[in-house]
Amino acid sequence: MDLTAPAIAIRDLNKFYGTFHALCGLSLTVRKGERVVVCGPSGSGKSTMIRCINQLEEHDSGEIRVFGTLLDDNLASIDAVRREVGMVFQHFNLFPHMTVLENCTLAPILVRKTPRAVAEALALKFLEKVRILDQASKFPGQLSGGQQQRVAIARALCMQPEILLFDEPTSALDPEMIAEVLDVMVTLANEGMTMICVTHEMGFARKVADRVIFMDKGEIVEEAAPAAFFEAPRNERTRLFLSEVLAH
Amino acid sequence: MPMPAAPLWRSRTTRSLLLQGGFALALLAAIVAATLTARANLSAQGMTSGFDFLWTSTGWEMNFTLLPAAPTDPYWWFLLLGLLNTLLMGLIGLGGASVIGLIVGLMRSGRNPAARFLATLYIELFRNLPLILQLFFWYALANALPNPRAALDLGPALLSSRGIYLPGLAVPYGAAIVIAAILLLGLALAIRVLAARRFARMEPVPRRVLALSLVLLAILASAAIALATHPPGTGWLSLPQPRGLRIDGGIRVQPEFACLAIAIMTYGGAYVGEIVRGGFKAVGRGQLEAARALGLSPWQVFSRVRLPLAFRAMLPILINQYVWLIKATTLGIAVGFSDFFMVIASSITHSGQTLELIGILMGGFLVVNFSLAAVLNRLNRAIALKGHNTGGAA
Amino acid sequence: MTALPAAPALTPPARRFRRLRRDYFGSPASALMTLASLGILLGLGWWLMNWALLDATFSAAATQAECVQAGGACWSVIAARWRVILFGIYPYDEQWRPSFACAVVAGIILLSCLPRMWSFRRLALTWGLGAAGFYILMRGGILGLSVVNEQQWGGLPLTLFIFVATAVAGMPLAILLALMRRSELPVVARVTGWIIDTIRSLPLLSILFTFAIVVPFMLPGFLIGEKLYRVICGAALFFAAYQAEIIRGGFQGIPRGQDEAAKALGLPYWQRMSRVLLPQAFRLALPATINQFVVAFMETSLVVVVGFIDLLAAGNTAYKTGEWKFAYVEVYAFVAAIYFLFVFGLSRYGAYLEARMNAGHRKE
Repeated sequence: MDLTAPAIAIRDLNKFYGTFHALCGLSLTVRKGERVVVCGPSGSGKSTMIRCINQLEEHDSGEIRVFGTLLDDNLASIDAVRREVGMVFQHFNLFPHMTVLENCTLAPILVRKTPRAVAEALALKFLEKVRILDQASKFPGQLSGGQQQRVAIARALCMQPEILLFDEPTSALDPEMIAEVLDVMVTLANEGMTMICVTHEMGFARKVADRVIFMDKGEIVEEAAPAAFFEAPRNERTRLFLSEVLAH
Repeated sequence: MPMPAAPLWRSRTTRSLLLQGGFALALLAAIVAATLTARANLSAQGMTSGFDFLWTSTGWEMNFTLLPAAPTDPYWWFLLLGLLNTLLMGLIGLGGASVIGLIVGLMRSGRNPAARFLATLYIELFRNLPLILQLFFWYALANALPNPRAALDLGPALLSSRGIYLPGLAVPYGAAIVIAAILLLGLALAIRVLAARRFARMEPVPRRVLALSLVLLAILASAAIALATHPPGTGWLSLPQPRGLRIDGGIRVQPEFACLAIAIMTYGGAYVGEIVRGGFKAVGRGQLEAARALGLSPWQVFSRVRLPLAFRAMLPILINQYVWLIKATTLGIAVGFSDFFMVIASSITHSGQTLELIGILMGGFLVVNFSLAAVLNRLNRAIALKGHNTGGAA
Repeated sequence: MTALPAAPALTPPARRFRRLRRDYFGSPASALMTLASLGILLGLGWWLMNWALLDATFSAAATQAECVQAGGACWSVIAARWRVILFGIYPYDEQWRPSFACAVVAGIILLSCLPRMWSFRRLALTWGLGAAGFYILMRGGILGLSVVNEQQWGGLPLTLFIFVATAVAGMPLAILLALMRRSELPVVARVTGWIIDTIRSLPLLSILFTFAIVVPFMLPGFLIGEKLYRVICGAALFFAAYQAEIIRGGFQGIPRGQDEAAKALGLPYWQRMSRVLLPQAFRLALPATINQFVVAFMETSLVVVVGFIDLLAAGNTAYKTGEWKFAYVEVYAFVAAIYFLFVFGLSRYGAYLEARMNAGHRKE
């Protein structure tokens, strides 16, 4: 891990599902501390792209470097990258058989070999940060969707990652719960966390993003600072997409 | 600072290759070692390996065969007859278990509390006792029956410790076998015509006529054979008659056969009953309410909506249960019914060709069970609701 | 249209009576079924009460003639031979040891039913210690206990030992097989699938027979071991093949995201399996697993065929020798009652758990 290198450097990334070309020669560089929002219609490859970054999907060709570490056939580098890259999922994916606290301490204890007491103190700190400290001894099934997603964020933070990936974190939530999750994400963004966030929450993008990326059919169609992206989209497809998303 | 180059075992591709190769090699080595050791041990005892023994005569007798067999017959014939016995027992056991299971399952899912309680009692009793215990009990009961001289008279049938004597058709044995085969074939073809998709485009009425005529044809052919082979001047029915120490006439069902069949039917019936009940429970309330709301009569609701849906729900589990019941026929060895497994075991004691015979045993059961599962899985796929997950079974 | 007069409200007893009449005599067919069922039930109950209690003989000293004269069940056979049925040919003076051993097994089964015991470590510890304690009690040779060889074991403790040993050896094997069948390595997954399917399509009896009689030919001398342990290996293999499929079914019920979340947290394979996926798979597969235990317990009785004197075979010897030949029903009823107690209890517990889990699901 070389923390002076770009946080993420993707070059000419290709990914196929059978004959379906999910990612077509995609390239993207994210600096440390940068906040990138990725949007696009469903099936455009945005989730696939961020899932390649921590190798939940294996890419077929091209190059992905995370802080200089090349993701290739070497299992050690995959392990190293996953330690530094946290991920928050659309469906939370909390472990239902563990309490909130156990969810948060599992990986630090097992992977980082943090002593249990230290890991628990850390977990409580992050649970407080996502404003859910009072639920620490409950099981995920006893929490609302918004609470679960905030726990999921805390769980990712407990590994103290350099980068956080968000895969449509609010898509599975009831409307009244979206705000509480977005609030936490805004706080994180303001603290300088490197974030790549796949989302359709354009308000969030406008507020915190350094850069907004629009993907369609496995390619990056447009990338720009939020002001330029929303006020003056250059590409026809982007304009169409924005008109559909913002119409509601 | 880039990561150091990957050591060999940390590379995903090499590791996957090494693991798979190692696994395959270890398995192969174990098989080869076991075979070599067995060869060495057997040849130390002066035994030759190979399948030549299949063509030598056995020198012992089977106590139950469908087709004639003598000690001078070769091993392969005995093994075939054993397999036939297993299939016969499987057919009778599966059929009986299905009928009992359907009745008990319906009683359990019905509304009548008295019938429900009776069915529950039956299921809990027969399902929660080991099959072999039940088999021993039936066999002890059969052995305690009076001897043929004092056989229990149940109308046309006689019950004695030598077996159950049923009235039979007065035709030679060979003709009876041919007749049974023809009737079975006719019935199977008729069911196929009624159920198979290939005939789905036929109108219901000609379809039923075709099925019925197939059955009639089979009955006619059977009658013709019976007429041709029936010894003239005697009665058409052969009734069992006590004659001193033995019973003449009729069909004798060996106690071993009868006990195993009863045990498998009653035990299997309890399991099938639970499966049937589960199937009925799986039918959604909404569907039944919709059917009633459409004005269907109770019988129409049952036969057109409830039964078809329940059958689809229970079939995958039923397949596993049937395979299990076929395997249970091997219990014949515990009471001395010559099923496939018992013939194999006797052949091992007499010929000593252990490995070959165990191989044949495995092969036989694999073929029987895989084909049973394959047929039923095909049925399952054919009737599965389109657009639903089909839970096939092994 | 005129308004209908309001129906008089039914009082609860009247309503109950109407429901009873509808359920029992709603239609002629239903009435017939009610009468037939009640007739069978009452007849059976009446006969059973007379046979098993009123006309029965209980004294251990009763002779065959007295039993026959009384006309009912001859429980004297149990009074006279219960030791043989329960303990087989285990030395008479040492039979307190198998009694304790059975209590140990009953204890570990009861303990395992407590939800607070459901962690790998606790269950493995209980069953491992229980099996060891059982073995020491039965076999002896240390702590001043005299040695009793496996050939002298019999009756209920032998049945329980085969059951516990099958489960203790079979469960880890089942987990291993299930993981191998789900492996990402195609060769491992495919071949394991073949092995599991093959074992599952073979009768257990043929596997026990193979391990008892054929396997000694295939092993070098030092590996052959006692026949009892070989037969247990066979039973464990069969158990594992079935249980592996049950666990696999549990795995299929887990959302994909669970494994992905564990991967994203950087957990390596074994920790993902042991901490995240297997606990959930077991929870989903719990009813089927208990059912498999029930079946495995009943199937221990098959060892009769390869020449062991388990509970069932000991029952056979109890009435087949000597003057009790006529009393087979009583002996089988006694043996059946013991099996029924274990099996029915365990399967009821499984049904209770399933109902509880279903209720839990509905709440979420």
